[in-house]
Amino acid sequence: MNHHRAGRLLSAYVDSELTAAETRAVQEHLLDCAACRDAYENLRVARDLLAGLPPAEPPAAFWAAIRRPMMRPATAEGASGGWAGRMRAAWDSVVRLPWPGIAGRRPGLVLAGVLVALALAVLPLVKGTVDRLHATEIGVDLYVHDHAMQMGTAPLVDRAYVGLVAGDAELVLAGETPRPVGDIVR
Amino acid sequence: MSDVAAAVALMAPPPEAVKAPAYTAEELARYDGIVQRYARHVYNIAYRMTGNQADARDLSQEAFLRVYRALRRVQPGAPLESWLYRIVSNLYIDLLRRRPKARVESLDAPIDTLRGELTREFPDVAANPEAVFEREHIDGAIQQALGVLSPDLRMVVVLSDIEGFAYEEIAAILRVPLGTVKSRLHRARQVLQVRLRPYVEARRRGWQP
Repeated sequence: MNHHRAGRLLSAYVDSELTAAETRAVQEHLLDCAACRDAYENLRVARDLLAGLPPAEPPAAFWAAIRRPMMRPATAEGASGGWAGRMRAAWDSVVRLPWPGIAGRRPGLVLAGVLVALALAVLPLVKGTVDRLHATEIGVDLYVHDHAMQMGTAPLVDRAYVGLVAGDAELVLAGETPRPVGDIVR
Repeated sequence: MSDVAAAVALMAPPPEAVKAPAYTAEELARYDGIVQRYARHVYNIAYRMTGNQADARDLSQEAFLRVYRALRRVQPGAPLESWLYRIVSNLYIDLLRRRPKARVESLDAPIDTLRGELTREFPDVAANPEAVFEREHIDGAIQQALGVLSPDLRMVVVLSDIEGFAYEEIAAILRVPLGTVKSRLHRARQVLQVRLRPYVEARRRGWQP
């Protein structure tokens, strides 16, 4: 076993977590390598230092609180407190979603980005509606004009189609006396 | 109910309306048994992770609140270590997410103040060689060294070296592959070695606490 590989295995060797074959190989290497023996000794001693930490003693209030957890006042989650509490809990759960790190560091930047995206989505929608309403004005027939207006406010209708329907309304039915163009609306 | 299903039940966010379930005396006794058995360990892990009493208390209280709520879904006598400690681990990560600024700063980074930058002062073992022999001083140094580690590495060290779990158990608690446990421990110990060098050397010279 080479020195580098043995060095990587030393940590697990200290914990006796290597396979039998790995353990043998590391042991053989330790016989030859003073640097690894030193590193092993350091690891072992450091681990024993940590293992020797006395357990942290919980304060008395901790025992009282966990004995009957429901008796204590509302938790940090705003679980009680009616309407306001629920709103806060909802807001907290939104905040605690795994947002990308930048949302926490530069909230202003992220807000600006969201606003731009929103504007890019809304502008064509508004402009499209305006265009369609203009298209309905081509027609002169009041009845058709009314319906074309309603159609024009629907966001998915094509502007050219609205124009065609409104414009076509000037065609007269067979047998009817032709009307002068524009005498009804304008 | 299987251990895994119980764990999933406990991991679920607590219900909105918290009402004290009407438990029978027997069930309450069971809860007390769980407290008796695990509370010290849960608190100790929480304390070593957070490094302060207030957070350790909040964290372990929250963990036991979840146990209490889910008591009926917990099989009597089932070993709870694995998922109880996973709850602590998840709650800690949750805590970091809610308060990133409070923890993420490095201990080595200078602190910005109105009067310029300050460097944190650590008890200097070079100036006071006797300090390496004092138990309290050693504990403080270890806790500081733990605080330098990333939460992932710290959790593995706490479970392995302080709570004494085997690698396989740690892998089950944290739900990571065995190789990840090994490599995290390896990396964590590299850092701890550097931080604790004076204490390790003092001990190697034959001194015992």
